Amino acid sequence: MSLRSESAPPLATLVDAFARSPSPMVITDARAPDNPIAWANDAFLQVTGYTADEIVGRNCRMLQGPATDRFTVERIRSAVQAAEPISVELLNYRKDGTTFWNAMTITPVNDAEGLAFFYAAQADMTYVHQMEVSMRGTNDELERLVNARTQDLTTALEQKTALLHEVDHRVKNNLQVISSLMLLKARRTPEGEARDALQGMAERIGALSTAHRMLYSEGDCTHFNLGDFAAEFLADMNAGLDPERRRVEADVESIAVAAAMAAPLALMIHELTANALRHAFPGEREGRVSIVARRTERGIHMTIRDDGVGVAAAAPNPAGFGRNLVEMVVRQMRGTIAWADAGPGTTVDIDIPLQQPA
Amino acid sequence: MGTGNAAALRILVVEDEALIALELECLLDDLGHVTVGVAGNATEAIAMGRSTAPDVALVDIHLVDGPTGIDVARALSADRRTTVVFMTANAKRIPADFAGAIGVIAKPYSERVVASTLDYVADRRAGRHGPACPDGFSPAPV
Repeated sequence: MSLRSESAPPLATLVDAFARSPSPMVITDARAPDNPIAWANDAFLQVTGYTADEIVGRNCRMLQGPATDRFTVERIRSAVQAAEPISVELLNYRKDGTTFWNAMTITPVNDAEGLAFFYAAQADMTYVHQMEVSMRGTNDELERLVNARTQDLTTALEQKTALLHEVDHRVKNNLQVISSLMLLKARRTPEGEARDALQGMAERIGALSTAHRMLYSEGDCTHFNLGDFAAEFLADMNAGLDPERRRVEADVESIAVAAAMAAPLALMIHELTANALRHAFPGEREGRVSIVARRTERGIHMTIRDDGVGVAAAAPNPAGFGRNLVEMVVRQMRGTIAWADAGPGTTVDIDIPLQQPA
Repeated sequence: MGTGNAAALRILVVEDEALIALELECLLDDLGHVTVGVAGNATEAIAMGRSTAPDVALVDIHLVDGPTGIDVARALSADRRTTVVFMTANAKRIPADFAGAIGVIAKPYSERVVASTLDYVADRRAGRHGPACPDGFSPAPV
């Protein structure tokens, strides 16, 4: 070894310090055939389980075994051959066959005549490797937990969707039953006021049914399209009219409104239209009812107009249920309504605010 | 209601809800069609299909014995003489191939849609060329 530092302690002190160091150290003789071990400290003997007699004179490859990485061994061999320093980690075998991870730094040492020794300082890295393994285990465990949780959430969502479908199915089926019940009773009731009332109710339920059918048929169950509803409603209304004498027309923009407004809007449109058909055209008078709806800055503006006899001229209607119903529903939606005699006919203007932009 | 010029169809009603079935029967009668039977479960429906060979079967999906309307549609449509139309509030249950049915009327239905769908079916059966599909009736994918 060549210790050139001027302030270096005496050689004997250094050798003693190396010998008693807790870090395993070994020195090989670069000039002897096959680069054999010349010296090893106690820490090295303790880590490997060999006595000094058993290793001195032998090459360090005696510490390698079947699971030692061949590529790393090759790197060490090249470095030694080129007399270059190298730091590697290698799986080594103790005398008893057990393994340990050996992190070593191999340094060539020259004397006056050139390369003389290799000095290798080592550290047992087994616990670091164990930590890596256990960390990998922890990660796997975390991943497993996340997967399990995701699975739970997916199942919960599926159950919720199934429940929504089930409720939707029941609501629709019940509406059908109620409608059938009304119509059955109407069929068995003699012509007159009672029968008209029952048929009127069946019609209102029909309008609510149309709204419900549209509500869940698309993927989005939180919105309701007023334009789609109007088209369907119009077809149902006109199917019951003599096309030669009376028509209902609609010009309704495609406006998305919150699902909660579907039923009141459906009822309102039905009531105003049915009212006009019932009262504006007494006897055989021909006529037209038009429904127009536009999106405004604040909400919806709707106009329902007929070319009939007008409110003042219509037969007095003490019950006025239809009109009461409309005013109630408009109030529920925080809207305003104005009835006007348009001469000819009646015009009803309604403004309904919408909370969210559609 | 109805156009009045549609040929009278012989119709099997497969519906477990008695009120709906009864009202539907009245409606079919008003429209000039003939109800050949009403069945509330799959076994009954398939047996009635065999014995009456109806022109049209209106089939609900949820019957007394579960969502067996699909099987009923498959069995009834196997007979070329019968045209099957689903009539259900649960259209999401219908398989991609529609189990042999030509389409679905969504519940709650309006009388208008039942009438126009039956006119459409009558036209199809009579081989009249390309009758327009009525709105409110969703045809099976071709």
